[in-house]
Amino acid sequence: MRLGVDEVGVTELMGVTEHTRAMATTAAALLLDGLDTARPLIAPVESVADGIIDEIAAWSASALGSRAVPLLWRILAHNPHYLESTWRKETAVMAAGALAAHDKRRVALGVAMSVRGRYMIEYTSAILRRAGDDDRDLLEILGVVDHYTTLNTLSEGMQIESDIRPPS
Amino acid sequence: MTTIRLVDAAAVEGKTKEIFDAVLTRERKVFGAEAVSNIWRCMGHSSALLEANWNRSRALMQRGRFSPLQRELIATAVSVANACTY
Repeated sequence: MRLGVDEVGVTELMGVTEHTRAMATTAAALLLDGLDTARPLIAPVESVADGIIDEIAAWSASALGSRAVPLLWRILAHNPHYLESTWRKETAVMAAGALAAHDKRRVALGVAMSVRGRYMIEYTSAILRRAGDDDRDLLEILGVVDHYTTLNTLSEGMQIESDIRPPS
Repeated sequence: MTTIRLVDAAAVEGKTKEIFDAVLTRERKVFGAEAVSNIWRCMGHSSALLEANWNRSRALMQRGRFSPLQRELIATAVSVANACTY
């Protein structure tokens, strides 16, 4: 908060974090080890007349450079309510607000790396690369993940009490 | 409760003092800190670990293309994902 992010920004940051963590768990549960997983736990819907799928295809054309709907969304399409509520949350959480949309994607990649979510690492890094990030940018995100894994391990291992407080 | 005694930042000398001074300068600027934070004080028992992690902090958190805010956003999210309460 010292860097100028208020409660709205912090809440948006937590939204990106919990959403990405949940998506990584979902992808892992579906045995998705990448965007082109051959044998997921549940087969994707191959063809569906669904407004949400059409919406995702349009988004994918812009964000990923292909109208192909990513595998995770095609699997969720077996349950239209699951698909729609998750997609609506994705668009709400990742949209620009107090935090820039691009920064949110970078945060999402950091979370995916941290929880070792291979599918979400591929998914999010593809979006970032399409938006202009290169290897050096992705390595900068990984560097923060790496360093904070160190600090988190030390602070948890030694049960260090936090002494950094938000500004009053 | 902290499992080890934290190093007294006022009592250190040599390399540890040099790094603590640099840490405080940095944390005062970024967090408005008035003392070396506990996470660095816990490392003060091993000057080699302290120096290695401070050098990595400078390399990874203070240099690069991203703004300090962009790096702190990622760091906070990673800490939440790691269930770190610090």
